[in-house]
Amino acid sequence: MANTASALSAKGFLIIEDGPSFEGVWRGGTPQAGEVVFNTSHSGYEEMATDPSYFSQIIVNTAPQQGNYSVDRNFWESERIWIRGFVCLEIQNSARDSHWLSRLSEAHVPVLTDIDTRTLVLYLRSQGTKWGAVVRAESEPEARLQAGELMAKAKVMAPDWTLHVCRRFAEDIVGQNPRGPRVAVLDFGVKENILRELKLRVRELRVFPSNASANDIKAYKPDGILLSNGPGDPVEVKDGLRTVKELLGFRYIFGICMGHQILSLALGARTYKLKFGHRGSNHPIRDELLKKVYVTSQNHGYNVDQQSLPPGVEVTHINLNDKTVAGIAHADLKCMSVQFHPESHPGPHDSVGLFDYFIKQIT
Amino acid sequence: MPRHKNLKKIVILGSGPIVIGQACEFDYSGTQACKALMKEGLEVILINSNPATIMTDPDIATRVYVEPLKVDFIKPILEKERPDAIIPTLGGQTALNLALELEKNGILQSLHIEMLGAKSEVIRAAEDREKFCRILDAVGARYPKSTMVRTYEEAQVVADKMGMPLVLRPNFTLGGGGGGIAFSREEYNSKINIALHESPTSEVLVEASIWGWKEFELEIMRDRTGTFVVICSIENLDPCGVHTGDSVTVAPQQTLSDRDYQAMRDEACKIVNAVGVETGGANIQFAVHPQTGERFVIEMNPRVSRSSALASKATGFPIAKIAALLAIGYTLDEIQNDITKTTPSCYEPALDYVVTKIPKFAFEKFPGTKDSLSTQMKSVGEVMAIGRTFKESLQKAMLALETDARGFTPVELAEDKLSQPNSARMLHLMQAFRNGLTIDEVFKLTQVSHWFLEQISELAQFEKNLSSRKELTEDLLKRAKRLGFSDAAIAHWRQVKPDEIANQRRQFNLRPTFFQVDTCAGEFQSETPYFYSTYWGPINSPRPKNEKSILVLGSGPNRIGQGIEFDYSCVRSVNRFRAEGFSVVMVNSNPETVSTDYDTANELFFEPLTTEHVTEVLRFVNPLGFVGQLGGQTPISIAPHLVEQGFKILGSSLDAIDLAEDRGRFNKICEEFKIEVPRSGLAANIDDAKEIVGRVHYPVLCRPSYVLGGRRMEIIENDSELESYFERHASFISKSNLCLVDEFIERALEVDVDIVRGRDWAVIGGIVEHIEAAGVHSGDSMGVIPPQRLKNETAIKIEELALRLADRLGIIGFLNLQLAVKNDVIYMLEANPRSSRSVPFMVKATGIPLVDLGALAILGKTRAEIKPERFKWRDIKTVSVKGVVFPFKKFFEADTILGPEMKSTGETMGRGQDYAEALLKAFIASHLTLPQGGEVFFSLREKDKAELLPLAQELLKMGYSLAATGGTAAYFRQNNVICEEVKKVHEGRPNCVDRIRSGQVAFVVNTTSGRRSVEASIGIRRSCIDYSIPCITESDAAQSFVVALRRARKKEFGVSPLPALQQF
Repeated sequence: MANTASALSAKGFLIIEDGPSFEGVWRGGTPQAGEVVFNTSHSGYEEMATDPSYFSQIIVNTAPQQGNYSVDRNFWESERIWIRGFVCLEIQNSARDSHWLSRLSEAHVPVLTDIDTRTLVLYLRSQGTKWGAVVRAESEPEARLQAGELMAKAKVMAPDWTLHVCRRFAEDIVGQNPRGPRVAVLDFGVKENILRELKLRVRELRVFPSNASANDIKAYKPDGILLSNGPGDPVEVKDGLRTVKELLGFRYIFGICMGHQILSLALGARTYKLKFGHRGSNHPIRDELLKKVYVTSQNHGYNVDQQSLPPGVEVTHINLNDKTVAGIAHADLKCMSVQFHPESHPGPHDSVGLFDYFIKQIT
Repeated sequence: MPRHKNLKKIVILGSGPIVIGQACEFDYSGTQACKALMKEGLEVILINSNPATIMTDPDIATRVYVEPLKVDFIKPILEKERPDAIIPTLGGQTALNLALELEKNGILQSLHIEMLGAKSEVIRAAEDREKFCRILDAVGARYPKSTMVRTYEEAQVVADKMGMPLVLRPNFTLGGGGGGIAFSREEYNSKINIALHESPTSEVLVEASIWGWKEFELEIMRDRTGTFVVICSIENLDPCGVHTGDSVTVAPQQTLSDRDYQAMRDEACKIVNAVGVETGGANIQFAVHPQTGERFVIEMNPRVSRSSALASKATGFPIAKIAALLAIGYTLDEIQNDITKTTPSCYEPALDYVVTKIPKFAFEKFPGTKDSLSTQMKSVGEVMAIGRTFKESLQKAMLALETDARGFTPVELAEDKLSQPNSARMLHLMQAFRNGLTIDEVFKLTQVSHWFLEQISELAQFEKNLSSRKELTEDLLKRAKRLGFSDAAIAHWRQVKPDEIANQRRQFNLRPTFFQVDTCAGEFQSETPYFYSTYWGPINSPRPKNEKSILVLGSGPNRIGQGIEFDYSCVRSVNRFRAEGFSVVMVNSNPETVSTDYDTANELFFEPLTTEHVTEVLRFVNPLGFVGQLGGQTPISIAPHLVEQGFKILGSSLDAIDLAEDRGRFNKICEEFKIEVPRSGLAANIDDAKEIVGRVHYPVLCRPSYVLGGRRMEIIENDSELESYFERHASFISKSNLCLVDEFIERALEVDVDIVRGRDWAVIGGIVEHIEAAGVHSGDSMGVIPPQRLKNETAIKIEELALRLADRLGIIGFLNLQLAVKNDVIYMLEANPRSSRSVPFMVKATGIPLVDLGALAILGKTRAEIKPERFKWRDIKTVSVKGVVFPFKKFFEADTILGPEMKSTGETMGRGQDYAEALLKAFIASHLTLPQGGEVFFSLREKDKAELLPLAQELLKMGYSLAATGGTAAYFRQNNVICEEVKKVHEGRPNCVDRIRSGQVAFVVNTTSGRRSVEASIGIRRSCIDYSIPCITESDAAQSFVVALRRARKKEFGVSPLPALQQF
C-alpha cells in the first residue's frame, strides 16, 4: 500500500514534555517514551536504531525518506533495536519492501510518519533535548494523557544507563591478527563495529561488562584497554568510572564517546549536557594527533568541559562546528580518547586510522 | 595557514559561448570565483569570449578581456598582464584544454605563470583514459573493461572472457556508427561482423556494458592538506546509458545503504588523491549494478562542472567560491560556511529535503533529428526543484519546465517511449502507471530503480483518488498539495477549472510554507536568505507589506531562444535595485544561473515560474511589486495572471505590454506613426492563406500565432510549399489558433534597437546591424555595432522612431525593436516590451549600463536624476561583432541552414579596431576555423550567383582554388573564373559530398532556398558539420567570412580589456 494512500489510517502523536505536540500517522509498534533527539545522517537508519547509545531515545530523522534501501542484518550494531521511537516524514512501505517498517514494529518501536520534522528539529534546537512519547491516539488530549503516564514510567530506572545495555558477562573474541596485541574492552554499550575494527587488528579481545572491576581487567593481562561508547549521563556511570580510575597508568587506554567522557572524568575533568547534542555523519574534526581535518560520525548528548581539564591533559581533537573538545590525551598516563566514532556505522570512515594509532601505542 | 602570499594577480579563464554540455553554469562558477578573489584583494583578470555572461561585466574583475579563448589571443593578454597564476578549473573543458595548450606551448613556463587548482599532469591523468584506468587499478577501483578486437576470432575470445552484455564501438566511425550493444551471444556475433566492417581500420572496441546500471555522482572538494568532503551525492533516475546531463537526477542519493555509500565515498577520496587533485572541486561518476551492488567508476572531472553548479544550488554550499579560495592556498577549515556563518567549510551538507533536476530539450527545433537520448548530451537547459519528498520535488520540477501547468501531461502511452530513452520519457513513465502497468513491467522496460518507480506510481494512484472521490475534502486537497500536484493538475483530475481549486485552497487556508535551505538540516541557526516552498509545514503568515522590496522574476530553464542573456539582465538589475536601497527577492528555477546564487538578491526563492508558485511567493513576501521585463518571455506570459490577483507590476503596465505584443493593436499604432509593416493576414487554413498570398505575394513568412524563438516559422516561396506547410503544421493551426502569413521582405538589412524609457527620459542602448539579411532569426544572425551598412540618416530615423514608439506605448523600462531596412524604407518586424537578447552584447560594446538604466526607469527615476544625455552609444571607438554558435554536431540528422526558427545556443563577441578584426575574432571565438588556403566549394542559388561572383574572384586571387556544382561552375566560368565542376549528390559519384568527406574542401558556400532544393542539398551541409568544415549558407555571411579570412593573414591581433561601464 502506498504511503499516501494509507495516510488515512491511524493517527499518532509525538508529545513533547512541557512542549508542543506533533500529529502524524501511526505506523505500528507500541507506544513508548524516551528522550527526543534528532539525527542528520542521510543514511544508516538500521545502524542507528541498533546502536546501544540510543538506548531510551526517540530518534527524529531529518532525512525525509527512510527505509529506502531495505534492511540487512549485517548492518546491526548490536543484537537488538534500542530506540524508543522512530519519527520521520516518510517511511518506505511498498508491496516490494516494507522491511524496515516491519522490523521496527516487530521490535515494538513506535513509528510515526507524516511529521513536519523540520519544524520539530528547529524546536529541539532552540529548546534543547526533551523527553517525549510516541503514542497512538484519536486526539491530542488523549495522546497527552497516555504520554504522561509513559514518560513517568520510563523515567523510573537505574541512573547508570550503561548497565541496561552492556553485556552481563565477559566475552572472549578471537582476533584476526595472530601477531596483534590483546585488548580488553570495557562495554558501556559497545557498537559491533568497534569490535569488528579491533578484531582486524588484535590477537584476542575480551569484552567486560560496564561494572567489571579493575582487578578483573588487570587479570586478563591486556596490552591495551578500550573504553566503549554507551548511553546516558557519564556522571552516573559510577562503577565504570571507579574502574577506569584504577586502570589509569596500567595500560594504554583508548576511549570512544562515553569512553572518552569517563576517561576525562577519571582524569579529573567535568562533563556537561549539550543543549541538543551532536548526532549526524558530517561533523568536522581537527585531529592534532594525526594532523588532519576530517569528517566524523557523532552521537552524543554530553561533552567534556574544556575549562575543567587538569594539567597534563592535552586537547587532541576539536569539533570545528562549535569548537568543543572532541578528543584528549595524557602522555604520562598513557591514554587518549575521542568524542566521535572512528568506527563510523553510520558515517564516514575518515578517522578509522585512530584504531591503528591505538594499536601502535600498545605493540 | 592563510593563503599563498606571493599571489597578486590571477587570470581566470571562462568557458566561451554557451554550447550543449557547457552552459551558464560556468558563468555562475566564474562569477562566484571572481567575486571571492576580488574580495581577497587580488587583481583578477578574466578572459571569456561570451558577452552574455555576468562574469564579463567590467565590474566583476579588475580587468575583463572579451577575446577568443584561443592561444593566439590569450598569449598577448598574458604577456601584457604578467599574472602570477592562472585558474583553469572554473571554465569547463574549454578552459582546461586551453590551459593545457598554453602549457604545452611553453607560454606559462616562459612567463612564470603557475597553474592553480589543477596541474597539467592532473588534468591529463583524469582525461587520458589509459592513464586514468591505471590509477583506478592502483587504488583497486573497478571500471568497465574493454579490449580492442580486429578479427571475428579475436572477438570470440574476448566475448568468452567478458560475458554478455557487451558494447561494440567501431573505431573511427562518426557518431558511433555501426556500434551498439549486444545482450546475447547471437546478437554479438552478428553485430561484431557489421562493426568490423564499418570501421575503416577494422578495429572494434569491445567494452563491458553498464547499460541499465544505477548511476551516481559525488561532488567533492579537497584542500591542499588533504581534507576531503563530499558536498553532495546525486542519483540518476535514468540508469546508465543516458548522459548524466540528460538524466533526471536527484540529490541526495536515495537508494544506497550507508555501507555502500561510504564505500563509494572512500573510493572517491582515493581516486581524487591518486589522480593528484590538489585543491578544489571535482566530481566522480559511478555505476552500481542494481542487484549485485558491484560498483564501476565511469569518469571523473578534476574541475568545477555542471553538476557542481547543481550541487551548490541543491545544498547551499558555494563550490566555485570555495574552490577559488582553496586554489589560492586556504584550507577548508579556514573558510567559514557562508550560510550558517558559524561553522567551517570542511563540512558535508545535510539535507532535509529532496532536490530533483530535469533537463530541458529542444528536439523540436531540429526537424529530422530523432528524439532519442544516449551517452552524448543533447539537452539545452535544466530546471531544479526542491520539495520535502521526492514526489513533491519531482512534480515541482515538472512544473518548472513550463510546458504544462499540470506538470505530468497525459500522453498516449507508447512502449518504445519507455524502453528507448527520450525527452518525453517521464510523461510516459507516469502514463504507464495510469494505464495500469505494474512496477515490474515498467522496470523491465526502463531499468529505472524500483524505488523511483514506486514513487511515481504513488502519484498515479493518487490521481485516481482525486478523480474518484466524490468530494474534494480538505484532507484530500492537502495530501494532493503535499504530493506536489499543481492546482491545474488537481483541477484536471477533478474536471473543474483551476481557479476553483485555488479558491478552495484559500477557503481551507492551504498555503505552502517557505523553508530555508541551510546546509545543515536545521541543526544550526542560520540566516540564509534561500527558500523553497512545501506543503509539509506550518503555514507562514504573510510578511507585512514592504514598500522597499521588489520581486524579480527570472527566466526559468535555458532553452533555445531564452538563455543566459536574460539572466544577465536579471542579475544586473537586482544589483541596481539593491544599490538603490531596495530589498530584492529573486524567483527562478534554473540551477545553472548567477541569479540563483543565494547572495545575488537579498532573498532567493527557488521555485517554478508558474502563476501558482509565484503567486504564493508574492503573497508571502508582500513586496512593493514585481518586475517581469527582465526574464524574457516567461515572466511576460505570467504577468497578467499575477496582476489579476492584485499584485503590482513595476515598470511598463500590462496595457503597454499588450500594446506591443498584440499584433492587431501594435499594427494600428504603426499605421498611426506611418511605419511600414510587412503586409500580412491571418489564416485558419490553406484557403485563407492562399487568399492572403494573392494580396501580399511570395515569399511569405508563415508562423502560428504565439510562438517563442520562431517555432514553426518558415519562409514560403510558392504554392506547393505553402500546402506542405499547412499539412505539416496542421495540428498547430486552427480557427482559435490562427497562422500568421506575412509578406517577407527579401534581401533587407535587419537591425535590433534596444531602448530604455523612464517617465520623462529615454536612452538608446544602440543599434545592432545584422550581418545576415532579414529572414534569419535575430538570435541566429551575426550582428555588428556600430552598423557598417546602415546609412546614418536611416539610423537617426530609427532612433527617433524608437523613442516615439516607446512614448506611445507607454513603456517604462525596456523596449526592443526589430526592424528591416530596404531601399531606405524602414519596416517594423517586431516589438518586445522587455529586456532582450541583444542587451548584454550592447552593454559590453557601448559601455552604457543599459540594464541599470532600465532598473532605474522602473524605479521611476526622473530625467534630472538620470541625465540621459550622457549616454551616447555612437561615441564608441571599437567595433564589436556578435558571433553565433550552433549545436548541429549533436543532432546528427538536422539541417544547418538558417531560417526564421532560432537554432543557436550561444553567442560570442569579437572586439576590434575595425570591422575586419572584430569579425575575425567573432568567427574564431565561435569555433570556426579560417582556412588559409585550399579549395572553396560553391553551390549557389540563382539569385546569389551574380552577387558572389566578385567574392569568387577575390578568393582566387587570394590563392584558393574553386569548385562548384554545375550551374554555379558554369556561371563562374562564363565570367572567366577558373572553377572545377563537381557533381551534385543525385548526379552520381564521386559527388560534392564525397569531395567534402575526402577532406579536399577547405570551406563551403552553399546558399539555397525553396523546400526542394534545401532538401536536395542537406548532404553538403551535414558533411561539413561532421567534418568540421566551415559552411556558409547566406551570401552576406559569405562576404563577411572572406573579410575575416583576409584579416587573418595579418596575424597580429590587438587585445584590450573592456572599458568600465559608464557610471551614474
